[in-house]
Amino acid sequence: MLVSWEWLSQYVKLDVEPEELATRFAMSGLNHESTTHVAGDVVIDVEVTSNRGDCLGHIGVAREASVLLNQALLIPKLEIAKDRLLAQPIDSLLTIENHFVEGCPRYIGRIIRGVKIGPSPEWLRRRLNAIGIQSVNNVVDVTNYVMFESGQPLHAFDLKKIRGNKVLVRRAEANEKIVAIDHRTYELDSSMVVIADAERALALGGVMGGVDSEVSSETTDLLIESAAFTPLTIRRCARKLRLHSPASFRFERRVDQASLDWSAKRCCQLILEIAGGQCTTDAIDTGSDPEPSPSIALRRDRIAKVTGIDVPWEQSVDILRSLGCIARPSESRGASPAVLITPPSFRGDLTREIDLIEEIARIYGYDKIPEDAEVPTFVSGKRPKDVLLERVRSVVTAAGFDEALTPSVVTKQAGHLLSYWTDQPPLQTKVQLLEGATFLRRSLVPSLLQAYQLNQSQQQRDAALFETAVVYLPAQSEGALPREQLTLGWVAACELRQSIGMIEELIARVAGIHRATQLLKTNEAIAGPDIDEGTGLWSCVDGKRLAWSGLLSRSLRNSLKIDADLCVGEMNLDLLFEFLQLVPTLEPLATFPAIHRDLNLIVDEMVRWDRLSETVRLSAGSLLTDCLYRETYRDPKKDGAGKKRILLTLVLQSRQQTLTSEQADQVVQQVIDAAAKNLDAKLLA
Amino acid sequence: MSLPVFLTALDALASEATQSLANVGDVQGLEELRVRFTGAKNGQLKSIQKMMGSLQPDERPAAGKRFNEVRDAVQSAIDAAASRLNSSSTPSRPSGPVFDPTLPGIRPRLGHLHPITQTIEHLKEIMGRLGFTATEGPEIEDTWHNFVALNIPEDHPARDPLDNFYLATAGKNAVDPAAPGAMLLRSQTSTVQIRVMEQCLPPLRIISLGRVYRPDAADATHFPMFHQMEGLWVDRHVTLAQLKSVLRMFATSYLGSDVHIRFRPSFFPFTEPSVEVDYFWNDSWIEFGGAGMVDPNVLSSVGYDPEAYSGFAFGLGVERLCMRRFAITDIRDLFRSDVRFLRQF
Repeated sequence: MLVSWEWLSQYVKLDVEPEELATRFAMSGLNHESTTHVAGDVVIDVEVTSNRGDCLGHIGVAREASVLLNQALLIPKLEIAKDRLLAQPIDSLLTIENHFVEGCPRYIGRIIRGVKIGPSPEWLRRRLNAIGIQSVNNVVDVTNYVMFESGQPLHAFDLKKIRGNKVLVRRAEANEKIVAIDHRTYELDSSMVVIADAERALALGGVMGGVDSEVSSETTDLLIESAAFTPLTIRRCARKLRLHSPASFRFERRVDQASLDWSAKRCCQLILEIAGGQCTTDAIDTGSDPEPSPSIALRRDRIAKVTGIDVPWEQSVDILRSLGCIARPSESRGASPAVLITPPSFRGDLTREIDLIEEIARIYGYDKIPEDAEVPTFVSGKRPKDVLLERVRSVVTAAGFDEALTPSVVTKQAGHLLSYWTDQPPLQTKVQLLEGATFLRRSLVPSLLQAYQLNQSQQQRDAALFETAVVYLPAQSEGALPREQLTLGWVAACELRQSIGMIEELIARVAGIHRATQLLKTNEAIAGPDIDEGTGLWSCVDGKRLAWSGLLSRSLRNSLKIDADLCVGEMNLDLLFEFLQLVPTLEPLATFPAIHRDLNLIVDEMVRWDRLSETVRLSAGSLLTDCLYRETYRDPKKDGAGKKRILLTLVLQSRQQTLTSEQADQVVQQVIDAAAKNLDAKLLA
Repeated sequence: MSLPVFLTALDALASEATQSLANVGDVQGLEELRVRFTGAKNGQLKSIQKMMGSLQPDERPAAGKRFNEVRDAVQSAIDAAASRLNSSSTPSRPSGPVFDPTLPGIRPRLGHLHPITQTIEHLKEIMGRLGFTATEGPEIEDTWHNFVALNIPEDHPARDPLDNFYLATAGKNAVDPAAPGAMLLRSQTSTVQIRVMEQCLPPLRIISLGRVYRPDAADATHFPMFHQMEGLWVDRHVTLAQLKSVLRMFATSYLGSDVHIRFRPSFFPFTEPSVEVDYFWNDSWIEFGGAGMVDPNVLSSVGYDPEAYSGFAFGLGVERLCMRRFAITDIRDLFRSDVRFLRQF
């Protein structure tokens, strides 16, 4: 809202510098945007919050100034000389019917006849010019002037263009068209309000007038409209047509229905003064004055309870009075004095005691609120989930991964890649987040692949990236919120065993090293076009899928133009959380030495480590504390084709005694026998 | 022979030996000195040692102790001279490869945490010390938690379909934000406050941190996804003065020196009074975030009695704090995952 200093001075004595007033406005609720100088006038741009439509006119701003500066507010008197009044009653000239009360709760019309259209006087042009409004002609300028004076938008129709002496406030018809005064054609729908005559739409109610009934140089008779339109109706209309006007801006913030006729009369008064003519004594009013706002009890002790400071009681009530409230004594509420406050009609935002307390506090001054009040101590602690995330991040960064943050909503292609947590299609947003991105991701990996691409294009092929974020898994039942699974995702040009090793380390760090080996179980293969065949697998705990990993398939690499072998994977951190051991507890160190025995077994190429180690575990018995994989190599000349050698180490230990060589030999023999029997394994001599 | 005479002779020897050894210029000269002072047969030390026999028995321990000290000092002076003369002579060139200890080290490759994560952890740590426990909630919300319970009525502009990421529902083309079951990506983390208040009774002091979503075109200062920290304190006697004080303590801790806080009146549906918060830093007021006293309607909507309880809430943009701290000037850099960027933090 642009405020002209010269204009504002008409309503209130401004005995401070503009800079000082701008600061005081900012500190009391009208945020200061800028100050400019226009032709000798000072123009202050203040930001008006959406609850303060009353400050969208100079009088409203002057009222704030009058309270801040402790000066009287001078509102213009509405006086029209008798000889300037028309003899005919208005309803003999025109009828107004309202068929869309939900869109336009109140419509007031007044008629002026015999005006002479011409240029506006210098003072009027100067004031409009100061706030950036072009002068059109004396009548249009007055309607604009009154809008920027009182905050109430007005419209002047050329009365002779209204056919059938009848004005209808109605819904627009579907696809009805109107040419607005900007000379553009707008196609309407039935949610919009039009002001029409018997034959056609004359104006887009609350937004813009129509060219057909526009005031022109030939105009002599006028219908002056002062109406209230429903904020939501106007907002949707303006938005849909991308047609925002100072009028729609004000209607969206709700105008004061009780002051409609004041503005209509004020408009008539100024037109008669400037353009001549006579006006009707009465108005057509499709509604009536709203009920006065209900009174609100204000209790003295509540002010301190909210603000933390003592505002003198008399001063509190005076502040409200100066803002236009009526204060009446009330019976004390409890031990505290109280008053009954009736807010003015233009302050629709004041409906509750708390609203009044805010008014008192902002005028009294937030600078009087101390910043060293007592704050009692309160217990707070780190949540187990924070501990989980800390441990996860420390493992992954120690493994050399840098943390990325990528958008949660992705393109259609990314939304369908590498999504193994659900079979349900991804959820979608109606509005795109970034170009083409409307799919709520079910996997973090596609976003990280995109990030890898970017790094590859910057010659940063060693990028190893991870992210912890939720993936969105559609709910099974209608109407329920989707499941948001906290997930760790990673992408790196590394060996697959490093990727799997990270999964193992994560479990060890979170669940504790003693439980980790027991927890992590069978690996179930992942099939699909995105992962290289034979490399993708699930790591499961307790029979549930905890993590997947694999090598990106060649076809996907080609289509993404990635030129490195990439390991990718994800882990369900919500599931990992179930195994969180917050505080590890010590297991006593073994007092007896361990015996290490290496075994070199020749097995078929298709025998996997999971089967071999399981066989070892089951056959070795309780003395086995670990079975360590060493290496695999092949010697087809000696072993024949399709065979491989696996070197492993058995770690044997007893908690009761030092193992003898014979005891160890016995376990080793059990393992060799079982491996021979179950896996056709031969011991390399 | 008396002890003083013995000691004088010993000191004279010590001073002569250290002086001449310090000045000796070649290996041959050193060898001559070695024989002269420490020679096994006629060395000067040997000669003096023999004199000890003529001392009184009760004088011998002191004499012996001093003798040992001098002997060690002379030997050290010989060693020092030897090593000095050795190193000054041209070393012989080793035949094999030579370890170069000035080569760059092999650095462990450690990953970096994202600056936003670091900022969030920092904020959590400070707020934790002020008694606020971190909480979280879903990013996809229903309209009750994102709007209704926050005192944002159906006709409020904040609910406009174009200003929110409503989810598309099967079979419905037009999004009706009032439709029961309408869901959206949350536009603020205040939703979490509602969820916590629905679950817990006061008193409570929490912060909620996380991603929020608003359809802004991405530019240097806007991104449609960003992070918020919201604080909430509800108890029997919570005031605007405590809000100001908590924010001051927070800012002082975050910025590392005494900071002042300013309130400007503002308007948010879920707080009343509502304020914009500025902090004074480097001689100017800098926007901090929005705050206010929890609106009684919000307290009522979660079943708290607004007569008995009051509370404050504040919301801060994590990106803004992060960017200021790390001198990042383009918000989009935070979400690009360029490792040249990530590895600087």
